[in-house]
Amino acid sequence: MKSGLKIIHWIYFLWFLIASLRFQLAGDYLSLIVSYCGLLVTDLPSAITMLSGSLIDAFLSIIIFLLTIPLTIIFKKRLQFLYSKLNFSFAFLILLVFVFLFAPIISNENPEFSKNLSVTKLLPPFSTVKQIELKAEKESKLSSSETFRKKLTRIIKPSFDGKIIFADSVILSDKVFYYQKGEAFKIEDNRLHTQEAKPLIKNRFFILGTDEFGRDLFTRLIYGTRISVTVGLGAVVLSFIIGIILGFIAGYRGGFTDILLNRFTEIFLAFPVIYLVILILALFGNSFFSVVVVLGISGWMSLFKIVKSEVLAIKQKDYFSASELIGLSKFQILSKEILPVIMAPVLVNLVFLFSNVVLAEAALSYLGLGTGNTYPSWGSMISSGQEYITRAWWLIAFPGLVLILTLFCFNSTGRMLGKLFNPKLKV
Amino acid sequence: MKSETGKTLIIRFLSSLLTLFLLVSFLFVLIRLSPGNPTDKYISAKLGSELSEKIAEKFSLNQPVAEQYFAFLSNVFQGDMGVSYNYRLPVFEVIWEYFSFTLVFVAISFILQISISILLALWVIKKQKRWLENFFASSSLMVYSIPAFVLGVALIYIFSVSLNLFPISGLKSLDYDNLSFFSKFFDKLHHLVLPLITLTAAGVAMFYRYIKESMDDVLNQTFIVNLKASGVSDKTILKKHVIPNAIRPLISVAGVELGILLGGTLITEVIFSLPGMGRLTIDSILSRDYPLVIGCVFTAGTVMILANFFADIVKLKIDKRLVKGILN
Repeated sequence: MKSGLKIIHWIYFLWFLIASLRFQLAGDYLSLIVSYCGLLVTDLPSAITMLSGSLIDAFLSIIIFLLTIPLTIIFKKRLQFLYSKLNFSFAFLILLVFVFLFAPIISNENPEFSKNLSVTKLLPPFSTVKQIELKAEKESKLSSSETFRKKLTRIIKPSFDGKIIFADSVILSDKVFYYQKGEAFKIEDNRLHTQEAKPLIKNRFFILGTDEFGRDLFTRLIYGTRISVTVGLGAVVLSFIIGIILGFIAGYRGGFTDILLNRFTEIFLAFPVIYLVILILALFGNSFFSVVVVLGISGWMSLFKIVKSEVLAIKQKDYFSASELIGLSKFQILSKEILPVIMAPVLVNLVFLFSNVVLAEAALSYLGLGTGNTYPSWGSMISSGQEYITRAWWLIAFPGLVLILTLFCFNSTGRMLGKLFNPKLKV
Repeated sequence: MKSETGKTLIIRFLSSLLTLFLLVSFLFVLIRLSPGNPTDKYISAKLGSELSEKIAEKFSLNQPVAEQYFAFLSNVFQGDMGVSYNYRLPVFEVIWEYFSFTLVFVAISFILQISISILLALWVIKKQKRWLENFFASSSLMVYSIPAFVLGVALIYIFSVSLNLFPISGLKSLDYDNLSFFSKFFDKLHHLVLPLITLTAAGVAMFYRYIKESMDDVLNQTFIVNLKASGVSDKTILKKHVIPNAIRPLISVAGVELGILLGGTLITEVIFSLPGMGRLTIDSILSRDYPLVIGCVFTAGTVMILANFFADIVKLKIDKRLVKGILN
């Protein structure tokens, strides 16, 4: 039994960190689930209309969050790698996975939320502004669906909230005054949201500052992780499928098919991939889906080569002809006889592919050909931050740092895996 | 042996031509598959169908696909890629104007990458310090992981915005035309420092790893021990035996690296707004100038294929034993 920090300890640490910092929010999400279930019973149509992406997102993350610890204990035997030694790359990658899965729990702001631009625009990291809460519309008797909607907007923040005012400073005398860039405003008492006869004024803390539209950089960074990881996973899976199938066909059939596929691969290899990617995106338009597909079909070449050469080698082995003789179908041969053998080099390749795809996605977003403006992406954050380079270094520094660390950790993990599987192989 | 080399080269050349041909076909397929065609613009309730039919005839869109394909092929190989919408000039003229800059830019960066990484690897090997090797091993992976656009923007922030040492973008100062010949040269150089660092850093890191690893490999082989035992000086061993052997695997990587460079210059030129192929490509894409886009992609592909071909020739020149490996 080796001593020292294991990966599993890091996972527990992160879990308890999030759980202790976001205890209240997690409770809110849980009560939201309960009341949603109640609404499903009483008022089905309005429950379905209220089902939005962010709601499902929140539900899924809180459920996965609660299941994380039990699952790691139940599947202890299968998840042996969790008991290997922790190093920096693993720690960062697990942090990424946490951020990817639990984004709504880590930050309960809306990534697109912006209000009172003159106050919140381009705030440096660690700055605070006053947040005044106004009273909601007159509270008459509400139906069950309306109370749920109220609860929903309180817990899952919408991208616009008229009941919040950000101010540089607030003066509390018999009247409430607030200042926005030196300009004084007065609020009527009856509009203020009060608690125990005091107006509700909080400090809003922006840990990484805000961007040019006053949006919280930390939240955008968190949600940007999702774009990068989703695009990466999608493209890698697509490349995996294309590479395995084409490589298998080329190695299995041989002859003319092999030559044809080889030439086909050659075009993709003899080509600066980014030109191909932007050509296709330019011709077919860029959206989330097209970016995934294009990055997927531009990364399968090395997999093809690995699979092909391995299949050629395996074809000579006795167990291969035996499995053919007992009449296994081609798919069974591929999945039962070939994939387990080639898993090691393929896995190493997939890790590098993932880092390439994340890089390509960020570069495309930087060039304005990325996944669109629906979600923030690291690349587009850097590209829009470049316009404010003289005033706001944090707009570039944080996304850039996260991107560099991600790529570095993937690259070094890939190298480590490569060394583990094949000490003589150079990666 | 000689005839075998010649034969291999011819086959290699033909396969390059085939790849080029497939590339053009691939472009044609992409264009045909993409939504929309030139007649769409003229279809409206007020115009009637005559105009769009006329346009279709003019662009030979009503002819069979095979015929269009051959027309496309012959046009491309005659150097006629159509007329750019934005520049109102033949595509090749536009590309040629921008291509020369990229060629020089990439060539300088390539030479810098190779020379810096070889010198660095030699220096580290000569010092024989464990911590130095470890430091460069991990920092090279770190540098390799920095995306060009992050590095470029960070450099702009540090050296242009904060320290005000280098210009933020462009290739010429405002008073460029009034300068003497030498100050013109230095002016351009001054503008190119940051872009060159941006484009070169990742490649240096990558080449350094390759060279270092293959040098370590060569140093561990028995013939080096033999040479040492025969009293050959360390310097001669390094110069005459280690470097030539270690540089061999580098050449095949160099072909691939050129592709990475062409991709990297695309982003670098956009960051620093330099007048090169990369920025031309991005501009033409963002302004939907399709003939120019296709011309740019075709040029990049052709350069890549040519570069790989020449890399193979150089490989053959250095080591004749590789004849068999080239065709695979």
